[in-house]
Amino acid sequence: MSRTSPAGRLSVFLRHGLLILLAILWLIPILWLVLASFGTDSGPNIRSFIPQSFTLDHYRELLFGSDSVSQFPQWFLNTLITSIFTCIISTSFVLMTAYAMSCLRFPGRRLLMDAAVIINLFPGFLGMIAVYFILRELGLTNSLTGLVIVYSAGSGTGYLIAKGFFDTLSRSLREAAWLEGANEAVVFLRIMLPLAKPIVVYTVINSFLVPWMDFLLASIMLNSGVADDKTVALGLFSMVDKTNRNRYFAQFCAGGVLVSLPISILFIIMQRFYVEGISAGAVKG
Amino acid sequence: MERRRRTGFPGSWLQELVTALRHGTCSVRLTLLCWASPALARRQWPRALVTLLAQLLSVSGILLCLPSVMKLGTLGTVQAQRIYDPISRRNVWNDYDHSFLILVFGIIGLLLAAWYAVSTLQRVIHAHRTSCQTLHTLRQEAAALLGPRFHRTLLTLPVLGSLLISVVPLLIMAAIAFTNYDRNHLVPTNLFTWVGLDNFRSLISLTTGGGFAHAFRTVLVWTLTWAVLATASCYIGGILLAMLIAHRDIRCKRLFRTCFTVAMAVPQFVSLLAVRSFFADVGIVNTFLKSIGVTDWLHSIGAIPTSGYVPFLTHPSWARPMLLLINLWVGVPYQMLIATGVLMNIPRELTEAARIDGAGSWQVFRHITMPYVLFITGPSLVSALVANVNNFSVIWLLSRDVYTTADQLLATAGATEIDLLVTWLYRLTQDQSNYRMAAVIGMLVFVVCSLLTLTAFRRLTRNDMEESFQ
Repeated sequence: MSRTSPAGRLSVFLRHGLLILLAILWLIPILWLVLASFGTDSGPNIRSFIPQSFTLDHYRELLFGSDSVSQFPQWFLNTLITSIFTCIISTSFVLMTAYAMSCLRFPGRRLLMDAAVIINLFPGFLGMIAVYFILRELGLTNSLTGLVIVYSAGSGTGYLIAKGFFDTLSRSLREAAWLEGANEAVVFLRIMLPLAKPIVVYTVINSFLVPWMDFLLASIMLNSGVADDKTVALGLFSMVDKTNRNRYFAQFCAGGVLVSLPISILFIIMQRFYVEGISAGAVKG
Repeated sequence: MERRRRTGFPGSWLQELVTALRHGTCSVRLTLLCWASPALARRQWPRALVTLLAQLLSVSGILLCLPSVMKLGTLGTVQAQRIYDPISRRNVWNDYDHSFLILVFGIIGLLLAAWYAVSTLQRVIHAHRTSCQTLHTLRQEAAALLGPRFHRTLLTLPVLGSLLISVVPLLIMAAIAFTNYDRNHLVPTNLFTWVGLDNFRSLISLTTGGGFAHAFRTVLVWTLTWAVLATASCYIGGILLAMLIAHRDIRCKRLFRTCFTVAMAVPQFVSLLAVRSFFADVGIVNTFLKSIGVTDWLHSIGAIPTSGYVPFLTHPSWARPMLLLINLWVGVPYQMLIATGVLMNIPRELTEAARIDGAGSWQVFRHITMPYVLFITGPSLVSALVANVNNFSVIWLLSRDVYTTADQLLATAGATEIDLLVTWLYRLTQDQSNYRMAAVIGMLVFVVCSLLTLTAFRRLTRNDMEESFQ
């Protein structure tokens, strides 16, 4: 069955058709979200897929018309600050742990590795109720500091993928550096980290995105109900609850579009790193 | 070296300790009381000062927790109440016991004390070993932290963070499973105390549980079904999609991959909340189905119990398959990305050789592609299964404010037909303040997950290939 025979051409055509159909299926809800954000209805549009007329009002309200429910610029700022600090702390924790587990040999290494796997088996927020009470005693609930602590303090246990990557790096490089008189710290910072660029980028993106994607921990930690304390996820969620849905749905869509844009672009640009990072880790398990 | 330490830990360690205490010099024995005594004996003042400070800090930490440790047996006895204070002429709170804080600081205190004991004994051994040498100066110690002891520098903060944010809270929650901490015993106005295995009993026995046993069975069965179906469907779907795109005849591969990646890149709370409105009872899909007459037809053949709309997310028999489908929408792109990476690495010689030998594309898939992909992503399949048992966001975002159960027994236990163990747990804590049952369920989630992982556990952490790549 060659590519030029009628049957071959039909099969190529069918494959493309199937893919296009799937791609449309995958994009329809997102397309609907984007269209709804430009529609004139402020509640969910249930009459037609494409709105009757278009407007930018929802974006204007979202960005400049803050009220007791909608505080989008403030939410965005809160999440950005949280994610920058989370990113710095988490990335260093993950890379430090992964490197130590992969390249260094010390007593108790196996024990720590097993312990991390066991800890990861518990649903993360089970302990959060206890964490919440502890942080409340320290006055850190309903604050970004507390949120950063919650997101980043335990991140070292998620070292497995990065460790898989470090495992594939050659040992002879480190030995050469030792012969040159470099100590472990120099080897780590100057030689191994630059070589591990794909996994560094992967870890940075991953930890930067945590506060943007998470809704669960934020809802436990930021429970004051005050609108300008919230993160983007919490805020947008409050826009579609029972009482606010009909007034704020279009603003929710606009907010969703505004948040998704930078994140999607980040994702797509870094797709190469992402695939490399994941598959390198997955290969090693 | 690592192996020697591991096998010899309890026996030879104790032996060394006894030797140190029996035959050691006076300063070695004194280390039991004062960590700095070896340094003091050698007149290494800076080192002695730092060690003294460290010990002082540890001891004061333990002393701070001591009152809580003493009350751990009862979790407090003094009920909070307002009493009249004749000096300020106002009602003020009495000096009451806070059961939760007693639990928290009691456990932290016990851990601190255990660490202090081990650390002290370790120092005695070290003092005995080095009794004939001068100790390292502070400068030398600092240099060692960047050289042979670099693992300490790297691991101290991550381990400490995980201990405080994961381990200690998990111990506390495990302890709460054995208490009566619920909405009738809310701190700080009330006390809670130990009740033994009562909570586990009410989860199992149908007569006394108040619906919990019934809810537990429903939720557990659905959780396991969900985990298996969701993992399998996303996994197979992802591989098929990756293969479809990777086929040599397909053009614009990047464009197609990007289309699917977009669906994954949009934060779940945005995409899932949008999908939720999309499939709502009064939503765009229902409007469309009604206008082309599908709704009436479904009603006439008895496929939907309601007239006028399809209860996509509001009726158990529709919501469960819909959740699986929507999860497919969220999960397939991710698996597709992973599978793409793996497929690219399949040695071409293998497939070419098979083709030359006359194998069809199905045979190549069945005997080469699939075994290869399974071999490489097998461990990640297990972690995906665990992740799906804990797949909070899909269920929660799609069912919150939308799904209400008609089953009274389930409702009293705070559960619904489409709840997973984790979402049930969350409902129990946030809606009902029923921490005692939530903690029990949390422990059960752990049991389920560890049973699932046990098979792949060794492959996940004790990877034999680890050294061979270096």
